[in-house]
Amino acid sequence: MSGTSAKSMLRSPFVIIVGTVLTWFIAAFLVWPNANVLIETFFPGGNFSGRAAEKLFSSQRAMKSLGNSFLLAVALSITVNVVGIFIVLVTHYFRIRGSRILFLGYATTFIYGGIVLAAGYKFIYGEKGIVTAFLLNVFPGMEPGWFSGFFAVLAVMTFATTTNHMLFVANALKGVDYQTIEAARNLGASTWTILRRIVLPMLKPTLFAVTILSFLTGLGALSAPQVLGGRDFQTITPMILTFTNSPTSRDLAALLAVILGVATILMLAVMSRLEKGGTYFSVSKVSSALQKQKIANPAANVAVHAAAYLLFAVYTLPVVLIVLFSFADGAAIQTGHLSLDSLTMDNYVRVLTQPSGLRPFVISVVYSAVAAVIAVGGLLFVARILQKHKNWVTAMFEYLLHIPWILPSALLALGLIISYDHPNPLVGGAVLTGTTVILLIAFVTVKIPFTLRMLKASFASVNSSLEEAAAIMGAKTLYVFRRILLPLVLPAAAAIAALNFNSMLDDYDTAIFLAHPLVQPLGLVIKANTDGAEGVDGVSNTFVYTVLLMVITGLTMYLVYGRSGGRGRSKGRKPLAAPGTVAATVSPSPARTG
Amino acid sequence: MVTAAVAVTLLAGCGAGSAAPETSGSSSAGGASGDTLVVYTNSNGEGRGEWLTKKAAEAGFKIEIVGAGGADATNKLIAEKNNPIADVAFGLNNMYFAQVKAADAIEAYKPAWADEVDASLADSDDEKAYWPLVKQAIMLGYNSDRITSEQAPKDWTDLWSKDEFRTRYERVTGLGTATAQLVFAGILSRYRDDSGDLGISDEGWKQVEQYFQNGSPAVAKTDLFARIASGEVDMGQMPSSIVAEREKSFKVSVETVLPSVGVPLAVEQVALVKGTDKKEQAQKFIDWFGSADVQGEWAQQFNSMPVNKGAAAKAKPEVVEFFDGLKQQDIDWNFVQQNMGAWVEKIELEYMT
Repeated sequence: MSGTSAKSMLRSPFVIIVGTVLTWFIAAFLVWPNANVLIETFFPGGNFSGRAAEKLFSSQRAMKSLGNSFLLAVALSITVNVVGIFIVLVTHYFRIRGSRILFLGYATTFIYGGIVLAAGYKFIYGEKGIVTAFLLNVFPGMEPGWFSGFFAVLAVMTFATTTNHMLFVANALKGVDYQTIEAARNLGASTWTILRRIVLPMLKPTLFAVTILSFLTGLGALSAPQVLGGRDFQTITPMILTFTNSPTSRDLAALLAVILGVATILMLAVMSRLEKGGTYFSVSKVSSALQKQKIANPAANVAVHAAAYLLFAVYTLPVVLIVLFSFADGAAIQTGHLSLDSLTMDNYVRVLTQPSGLRPFVISVVYSAVAAVIAVGGLLFVARILQKHKNWVTAMFEYLLHIPWILPSALLALGLIISYDHPNPLVGGAVLTGTTVILLIAFVTVKIPFTLRMLKASFASVNSSLEEAAAIMGAKTLYVFRRILLPLVLPAAAAIAALNFNSMLDDYDTAIFLAHPLVQPLGLVIKANTDGAEGVDGVSNTFVYTVLLMVITGLTMYLVYGRSGGRGRSKGRKPLAAPGTVAATVSPSPARTG
Repeated sequence: MVTAAVAVTLLAGCGAGSAAPETSGSSSAGGASGDTLVVYTNSNGEGRGEWLTKKAAEAGFKIEIVGAGGADATNKLIAEKNNPIADVAFGLNNMYFAQVKAADAIEAYKPAWADEVDASLADSDDEKAYWPLVKQAIMLGYNSDRITSEQAPKDWTDLWSKDEFRTRYERVTGLGTATAQLVFAGILSRYRDDSGDLGISDEGWKQVEQYFQNGSPAVAKTDLFARIASGEVDMGQMPSSIVAEREKSFKVSVETVLPSVGVPLAVEQVALVKGTDKKEQAQKFIDWFGSADVQGEWAQQFNSMPVNKGAAAKAKPEVVEFFDGLKQQDIDWNFVQQNMGAWVEKIELEYMT
């Protein structure tokens, strides 16, 4: 894991091939389109315009919203880690009664999000919510609108974004060597000391990666502040979206996006620095799989159980209500009055018997699957090289690959259009607009930063001695990659692919600009059926689509991750196997499921 | 692992294969869409898109509707101008089409029904690039169960100048929608002052400031009518066409205010996309779609108010009556179009809270 110089790195043919493809891809799809759109925005007519900065910095609202976004990002980086680590420990580390049920409850965030999630929380804690009604009975003087503003937004977003912890931190936890833990206990270390000094340090690369993601989620917060933020806590994203849509104000949108992007990159740099130089894999010669720990202190045990089940309720209640409300009519949803006799199948019949039928679902599933596989497949090689060779060249590539995090997807899409609406030598003289390929390219590029971060983190927790041993015995680079490294990172890779797949299913922002007119994905159909101006059915359609997407994404998670995760979790099957073999046995190929 | 990768690719391939025949079937004639006319619109919701596709097929036009919000459709048309994908665009109002025209993405065309519509509602140039189809009035509506017509506000400015309304109206939280932009076009136009900021007097900007300092902010994904039904607010902006249906859905009665200056009209238009390779077919489609017969059926089906004089006879009588009694606010659309982008920006940055 030591750094290698750029020169020596280039001696490997593997590096050269991957590097060439990567350079072309970055130049053609990350740098060129986005440079085009930024130049057009900031240099209208060839002259630089500094008007955007002047306008923004003199706007009280813009500055306040920007401040709120940053506040949320920082707060979320902390709270998501606290809650996320807690639920991972409860489901994977401590011996807790009913941990499988708890896992299912916490896993609900895998399958839904966005505006409907925020609405779900509002059904429960909002002014007319169930919990609020109950609290008002107990404390009659209470303010019914208590669940609003910064606190409400932070709470909802914290519970909504622990997905990455549940997938990746839990996965990294499985790689922790149990013998070290036992040794520490024999030396008299307490549960708390073992956690703090042994377990958490091993999780660092993954924790750093998910912290960056939480930060980014906070910066880009959109629906939770809109639904729950109230007057005092609005964020910058709605303003960015409005300005992106207005050609004369697009420079403001781009400037705001760049400010958020730079902050993200700074965060990335800080995290990379913190991560540097650590050893994040088991160093014992014969490591063994983790066994669940009993919490010795009875009081602590009760407290942890209580907290775990309370969180379970917090996580599952919104989902239950969303499913119930999806059978109610639009007026009931918006006024929050649910009566059991008013639940009908009408909403589902209406959505599923449209003339377009299942076609948009099929199109979106295919697009998302292909894009997810390409992104993860391609970046496996890239992440490996970036992890192994640390020098200025790889550092530069790594930062370039994060470009899609800087600009909002509508601007990325506009960049692709203005760059490829004419024969362009970068893509062999082809015209890409109006083809089915351009949306695929956009889907792949948008998913690159997330995929790269998570893959790199999982490579970081691979014990390099396995690889060295194989190399000493004469194994070729590709052989080592295929037989040693891939099996180790495959669970993480499958989880990343599944998350990528899920997140693209209902994409609207990219598809609206790039979809082929005859191959329109689901996001456009959802938008047409749910937009505010589309009548009362619109809101109930939103809920129906959310539930339908929950079914698809739930199925994906189960097929790709759930079964293997469940088996691997229940008991360490081969207590004495090397970590590599454990990981390999708990990761069936996602292919079998297809 | 390799099997995994291969199988996933195969799976993807199968899916792609199943979708492909439908696509290739219609694109065999060459070009992105073969002989299918690609129609961009923001007016495809509530079954409009399906209805039009079916009717067009009966008349011999194979069309594919691509729906997008007004701003999205506008940006898409402009972004694609070098290699257009659409052949026809309709439903966007005059403000949006003016932007598309300024970007040189639509082409002048005189439809067969040009003499049947009020040309003053179309593109104001002599070479008209977009033509009117449907009229929509942008109204201030109030809950008539709680407020009598005597007590009701007489104009938008009453909302913030009279104590009884200050907390009772819903105000917008963003200016991204056409309806919100038209409301402000209607308010700001009254305060035109060429020496003022962006052509508006200080008094005018004070009105905007007051609008945002009072009022109850709109709630995402909660319709104004839902909030009226639950008593949170009593009034707010609404396009005329939705009132009847929402009254029924939310079981409320809503009346609209008729200010003495009149109400702003949004006029949905149709245009030929510049650079289409199916120009002749697209022109025929426009001739058919804007004709008195088709517009009449459309009006009957979707409660709209057609601009085509021949179609008005087929529209719902209550809709025609409503528009007959309506005074249109005199708005200089050229002035509005030139300034709307800057107004939205100023309002978003300085007045919204």
